[in-house]
Amino acid sequence: MEGKRTRVDIIGDMLSSIVSKGGQIKPTHLMYKSNMSHGQMKTYIDDLVQKELIKKVKKNDFDYVIITNKGHEFLQKLREMKEFEKAFGL
Amino acid sequence: MVQVVFSPKWFWGKDIFIDSIALLVLLSIAIFATKYYWIKKSRNYLYLALSFYLIALSFFSKILINFTIYYQVLHTQIIGSMTYTQTILKSSEIFAVSGLFFYRFFTLLGLFMLYSIYEKQSKANIILMVYFILISIFFSKEEYYLFYLTSLILLGIISNRYYQNYRKNKSKASGMLAASFSIITLSQVFFMLVSITKHFYVAGEIMQLIGYTVLLTAFITVLKHGREKNKG
Repeated sequence: MEGKRTRVDIIGDMLSSIVSKGGQIKPTHLMYKSNMSHGQMKTYIDDLVQKELIKKVKKNDFDYVIITNKGHEFLQKLREMKEFEKAFGL
Repeated sequence: MVQVVFSPKWFWGKDIFIDSIALLVLLSIAIFATKYYWIKKSRNYLYLALSFYLIALSFFSKILINFTIYYQVLHTQIIGSMTYTQTILKSSEIFAVSGLFFYRFFTLLGLFMLYSIYEKQSKANIILMVYFILISIFFSKEEYYLFYLTSLILLGIISNRYYQNYRKNKSKASGMLAASFSIITLSQVFFMLVSITKHFYVAGEIMQLIGYTVLLTAFITVLKHGREKNKG
């Protein structure tokens, strides 16, 4: 049943990982939590920053990735989609 | 003579109201499925949206036919002129017969498309099925119940699919979805019996209203569940 993750699945996993850490996470933690390679994660982070779903910030000399309101809204939509897929057996 | 009016006179308008609710529920689900399709680009979403749009379109045709017939028949009663009444009925009958064709065609095509999401079809099968749908609609002109029988079979298979899905994941929404489709399936049995008494049409419409209300509740549950999870 569980096949290869789609792009949307990966984005969903990334945003969920950030939310589970209180809305902000270090990039390396995000990489482990979302099961991604370094290169893959860099591409996704750049893409999500461009789409304003996440922001990159610096705190006490550490890089953090934080989820934006738009990111929260998108994650909600993804969760609705998951429920929708489950209900309709898609 | 093609039967176009199935509703008893006292139920005129009320059936239009019930069909409008079904139309709105179907459109809401179709619109959401379209939005999801643009996010995920999954064909299943596209087919689901298309099938719900088609069934919504069929309800729109039905509403339009009933509205025209009810309004025009009432209108001629007020005028009370024989010649005028005849002309009006003739033109409305042509409209009703063609509208009825579209109503039946869109319903069966929509249901077949929904069924095809779960049972993948070859191109040859699709052509064959569209042909059978057209044949069943053609014969439904004289034997109206054939259309409801075909809907009953398609809806029955889809309901069973949703029930199997519910057994697998035990989610509240999928249970409600299976229940709603089962109720809508059952409503087709009542529609098939309209030739006995038109009261079966009323029973069918009420069953349909219950079915679409449960479908709407299932859809709201899906949206609510998505939101609740996001809070956590």
